[in-house]
Amino acid sequence: MIKRFVVAIALLLTISSVAQAQLMIQVTEGRVDAVPIAVVPFAIRGSSAPEQVDAIISANLHRSGQFRPLPAADMLSRPSSGAEISYRDFRVLGSEFMVVGKVEALPTGEYRVDYELHDVPRGTRLISETYQTQASQLRDVAHAISDRIYEQLTGVRGAFGTRILYVNHNRGADYPFQLQYADADGARARTVLRSREPIMSPSWSPDGKRIAYVSFEANGMPGIYIHELSTMQRQLISSFAGINGAPDWSPDGRRLALTLSRDGNPEIYILDIASRQMTRMTEHFAIDTEPRWLADGQSLVFTSNRGGGPQIYRLDLRDKSVRRVSFEGDYNSNPAVTPDGRYLAYVHRRGGKFHIAVQDLQRHTFNIVTTTEQDESPSVAPNGSMIIYATKHKGMGVLQAVSIDGRIKVHLPSKEGEVREPSWSPYFQ
Amino acid sequence: MSAYSSKALLAVLLASSLVACSSKPTDDQSADMQPVQTQPEVTQVQESQPVQPQQSAIALTADNYHNHPNNYDGTTSSRVIYFAFDTSSVPAAAFDTLRAHANYLKGNSNAKVRLEGHADERGTREYNVALAERRAQAVEKFLRVQGVSAAQIQIVSYGEEKPAAYGSDEMSWAKNRRVELNYLSGRPQ
Repeated sequence: MIKRFVVAIALLLTISSVAQAQLMIQVTEGRVDAVPIAVVPFAIRGSSAPEQVDAIISANLHRSGQFRPLPAADMLSRPSSGAEISYRDFRVLGSEFMVVGKVEALPTGEYRVDYELHDVPRGTRLISETYQTQASQLRDVAHAISDRIYEQLTGVRGAFGTRILYVNHNRGADYPFQLQYADADGARARTVLRSREPIMSPSWSPDGKRIAYVSFEANGMPGIYIHELSTMQRQLISSFAGINGAPDWSPDGRRLALTLSRDGNPEIYILDIASRQMTRMTEHFAIDTEPRWLADGQSLVFTSNRGGGPQIYRLDLRDKSVRRVSFEGDYNSNPAVTPDGRYLAYVHRRGGKFHIAVQDLQRHTFNIVTTTEQDESPSVAPNGSMIIYATKHKGMGVLQAVSIDGRIKVHLPSKEGEVREPSWSPYFQ
Repeated sequence: MSAYSSKALLAVLLASSLVACSSKPTDDQSADMQPVQTQPEVTQVQESQPVQPQQSAIALTADNYHNHPNNYDGTTSSRVIYFAFDTSSVPAAAFDTLRAHANYLKGNSNAKVRLEGHADERGTREYNVALAERRAQAVEKFLRVQGVSAAQIQIVSYGEEKPAAYGSDEMSWAKNRRVELNYLSGRPQ
């Protein structure tokens, strides 16, 4: 029953999304206690809309792994407003919540979307809202509605309206490397840069308006660029001798932490973007790289092999003191942090395989959360719910997502070439 | 090679392969060495021409790939140096080749080489950029010790971003752990 529905949703997503979308979503492991919800197909008034709002909402909730949408084919009735609901039709199918709505084409060319969220066992209405929007923003409305429903029912802010930035690699293509971003559900993929040389380490600014990345386009040598998405203007902000790598934006958006080896050894530097002042923060002959800011803007975590093999360390920016953070096994690298600062996700090698592990900094626990074996590049959603990362599936680079506790796993197969180095966007204002 | 009779050449080849078998410090040597027949008489080796490279009798494996004589011909025609897993030390089998490059660079001040460091795919990308840079730096150091000027050497690290082999097996990884000598100018013919 669920499988048919997932296939149907996947087909809908392919039909309605742009042809060059790279990502498609498949939940491989949802929660056993996922909440049954009925998203009733919205009534259409006037000409049909270019997006199926209810399908997008349903797919979003399903992809979170916390909801189990009822297949439309199983529904006994199709109300489009609270007044039309016969709760018994949905109680009998086990739904705990239901969403009803309508999409109306207005004479102005805009669309009006009404929706309601109801508690089925209690027979009460929880939310009733209306949106009016352009056709081009119907997807965004669907995501906003999904966020409201998700937050109402889980208490956690939704992240369905966010984006994933990633590198796409197509061996044999004229420009094999492409930097792209797509909606968190894989739709509306857009190319920011195409190149004949590698692109690495894309990173979002905290306001989601700019990105930073490493590109080897300048005669095969690495440089770090800041790229403004609305204007597509960019500046080269670091191209020293040696490594220019691993840019990560500070929480206030004014600085970048990055890796340079211009002094002969890879070290962490902080760049003040406005003044272009570069300050070196680590002073050790070992490799120091892969910095990630913590939310307070006063410290960052990074990878260093100063202890022999790569481990995660924390650097206090005020006094440059360094403290080791990871202690399991002999290879830990590429840290990512949850927004509340409680969890650290990083790549951990065990038995020659590379998994994503989550360390609870409060409870001091350690947990490997993936069974995939060539994992890298973890990036945390802005609501802290999921970690997206890169791995290999049948020899090809793909993205996967896993919840912090490891119980929910989402597979994102790529349609064209290989996908890697995902970076989850912040919330967009 | 007309100075040699074909029989003498065969003797030289067999004698040289004997030497090759016994001097390579690989772990798998005892398992992979094939029996070599010795000639009752060995003809003197004339030093008038450099000895042409010949196929080593040691089997080529992922473990010894970095140090296998088949991968280095001792001249500037060999442009790739390989590395063992988790190391950045230049393998002994590559020394003659690197000396040849060093001599070439010293003799041609217009020649400039870019040492391009690479790592295998395992582990995280930026960390691999740093590891691969260590390898390029090791080759640079070798060349500098031989007297090559710093002005003739440039370094770049590609980490795991530009693999030579795309498999996820030991042999593919062995082929990817490398430094390539890319002449930006004055390339040897």
